[in-house]
Amino acid sequence: MNTKATSELVRGDRRFGLMLTMPGLAVLLLVIIFPLMFAMVTSFFDYTLIHPNHDVFVGLDNYREVWDENYVGTSVWVTFKFVLASVVIEFAIGFSVALALNSITRFKNFYYVIFLAPLLINPVVVGLLWRMLLHTELGIANYAIGLIGVDPVNWLGDANTAFWTVVMVDIWHQFSFMSILLLAGLNSLPKEPYEAARMDGASSIACFIHITLPLMRPVIIVALLLRFVFAIKTFDIVFIMTKGGPGTATDLISYFIYRAAFFGLDIGRASAMSIALLLLVLGLTVYLYRYMASLR
Amino acid sequence: MKRILTAFIAILFMASPAHAETIRLLMETVPDTRYIEELLPEFEKQTGIKVELEVISYNDMHAKLVPQLLSSKGTYDGIVVDFYWVGEFIKAGWLMPLDKLVKRDGFDTSVYVPKLTDLVGKVDGVQYMLPFYNYSMAVIYRKDLIEDPKEKAAFKSKYGIDLKVPKAWDEYWKQVEFFTRDTDNDGKKDLFGTVIQGQRGDCISMQWANFLYGQGGRFHDKNWNPTINSDAGVKAMKAYREAVVNFSPPGSESFCFDEAANVMAQGKAYSLQTFNIMFAGFDDPSSSQVVGKVAITSNPGGGLNGGWGWAIPNSSPNKEAVWKFYKWVESYDIAKRRALLGGAPTQTKIFTDPEVVSKRPYYPILGEILAGSQDFPVFTYTTELVEKMGLEFNLAATGDKDPKAALDAANTAYRKLLIKDGKISN
Repeated sequence: MNTKATSELVRGDRRFGLMLTMPGLAVLLLVIIFPLMFAMVTSFFDYTLIHPNHDVFVGLDNYREVWDENYVGTSVWVTFKFVLASVVIEFAIGFSVALALNSITRFKNFYYVIFLAPLLINPVVVGLLWRMLLHTELGIANYAIGLIGVDPVNWLGDANTAFWTVVMVDIWHQFSFMSILLLAGLNSLPKEPYEAARMDGASSIACFIHITLPLMRPVIIVALLLRFVFAIKTFDIVFIMTKGGPGTATDLISYFIYRAAFFGLDIGRASAMSIALLLLVLGLTVYLYRYMASLR
Repeated sequence: MKRILTAFIAILFMASPAHAETIRLLMETVPDTRYIEELLPEFEKQTGIKVELEVISYNDMHAKLVPQLLSSKGTYDGIVVDFYWVGEFIKAGWLMPLDKLVKRDGFDTSVYVPKLTDLVGKVDGVQYMLPFYNYSMAVIYRKDLIEDPKEKAAFKSKYGIDLKVPKAWDEYWKQVEFFTRDTDNDGKKDLFGTVIQGQRGDCISMQWANFLYGQGGRFHDKNWNPTINSDAGVKAMKAYREAVVNFSPPGSESFCFDEAANVMAQGKAYSLQTFNIMFAGFDDPSSSQVVGKVAITSNPGGGLNGGWGWAIPNSSPNKEAVWKFYKWVESYDIAKRRALLGGAPTQTKIFTDPEVVSKRPYYPILGEILAGSQDFPVFTYTTELVEKMGLEFNLAATGDKDPKAALDAANTAYRKLLIKDGKISN
């Protein structure tokens, strides 16, 4: 076979591949690239819901205004704390659950269903549900802890407690996502290293540290990064449960942007914030990925 | 295959008869919408126009409306407009003036309570909406407690004044303090003088307004200069904080109106400053333990005036048909039947209509509440003001910020928005 024929074949394959992916790419272009570009362009214009036109170019004014906003710094800080707390705790719980599920053989499906149930509930419903459960006077949470003599807790009214309440609800809702990803990773680990280590008399803790963790590294990185990106976007729970309050205790950046767009009617400013956030998340994701991949 | 396709298309055409007119309206999940749904079949029978109501929660309405209003031909033939949005919708030019239709058909707009025409009817002399229902705020209180001779005697000996339906703020506030107590002596308060709905944003802004009016304060003077941080404002904020700490259930700084109403419905509170439309719920045995024990009265100094209006957006595909519907739904007969079902009237005569009063004896009081109500700022950026102000109020309510400092910040935010809107120059 000569090279000319090969390259002809390769080119044909490529053309066929392109043809197959075209419809998908077109849809992606329509639903991702176009809105992204639109937001990017809009962020340089005085585009409001009252005058939705790209006719007043304002350069970087929208970006500068973001910094002049009261409480934007607080909101970024709250988001940072929220992401850190929820991802770390969800990882710890999620990994423990994955390890436990990996080692049992009976009733596996039963536990699957139980742990997966929260993830299947719509976030808005999760918010409403917990808001009712946590009502200080009429909710079942305070009634239940009252039975064992604990004083009622002001779940959503006290600034410090409210933050952790929201984190807790997010963990309840999302940790099984982490479990499922990690469990899939654990399932695919080879058995041989463990058997060899056992023969050499390694304890299960040693096995975990020296075999499971290193082998699981790629899966752990993906799980953490995905949850990290999702956590930054958290909106529904805060929107339903606290409206960012009390005060600014749970004022996540996504809700901040929502307010600029739908209460402030200022799509230009909201777009500027979204783009700034996108760049920040993108930068952080690249950095975190490189950092975690470099760990040995 | 071809034959199947043809048959399918034929069925499609038959399923939607071309001659039947259908109009679509976006509405909120509130009792007043339900009453209309009950009466709708009559309209459809009379006119042959089918009315589709898309009923969603308040939180989703604005975001759903705007894209429809922006397009040249929207999905909705008619919409309902919260007074919050009036300034914005008019400024954006989304609503169609109704004056021509009103004049052509001799529709009498003088039947409406003037306060509501000002709020959700006319803007600068142009009729953009017809007032649909009012949700002015009031005080709902426990009449069984206030009429109890033992309570009356104890109140008199403690404060030196009679225990009666409160007319002045100080009198009301003494009652709030008086009824906050531990009834079963377990060391925990279980009856509260009032219930705060202190959640940041809309919930606290609405309720706090009643505290401001109670002190004789206003949001701005007649030249639109903001006066939120006046002495009256500071007094109102201090009273609000006092209520959060002493007279309202713990956690109420995160309540909205539904949670606050639940506390009242469980018999755990003496009073509640809330929307008049909530009142009927307290007499419903399926949701209330205080049936027959509650009454309603004006907020001392006047409560917040709130309402919704019917409007036809410029993007409406079928303006004539929806106008026909409005004429029907706002006719005296239908408006009265809505009131009989429990609706919140907007036409002056319905509040005192003998048939309405015999079924719902408190309706004349609702009329007085509305007549004495106070206006909330209505301008292009009302929704943004509510958010910014609501955050500051909430910070003060939770004790995270000094009342005066919070009100100063709210005042500055209001001033900035008024300048942006061109209401004031600096």
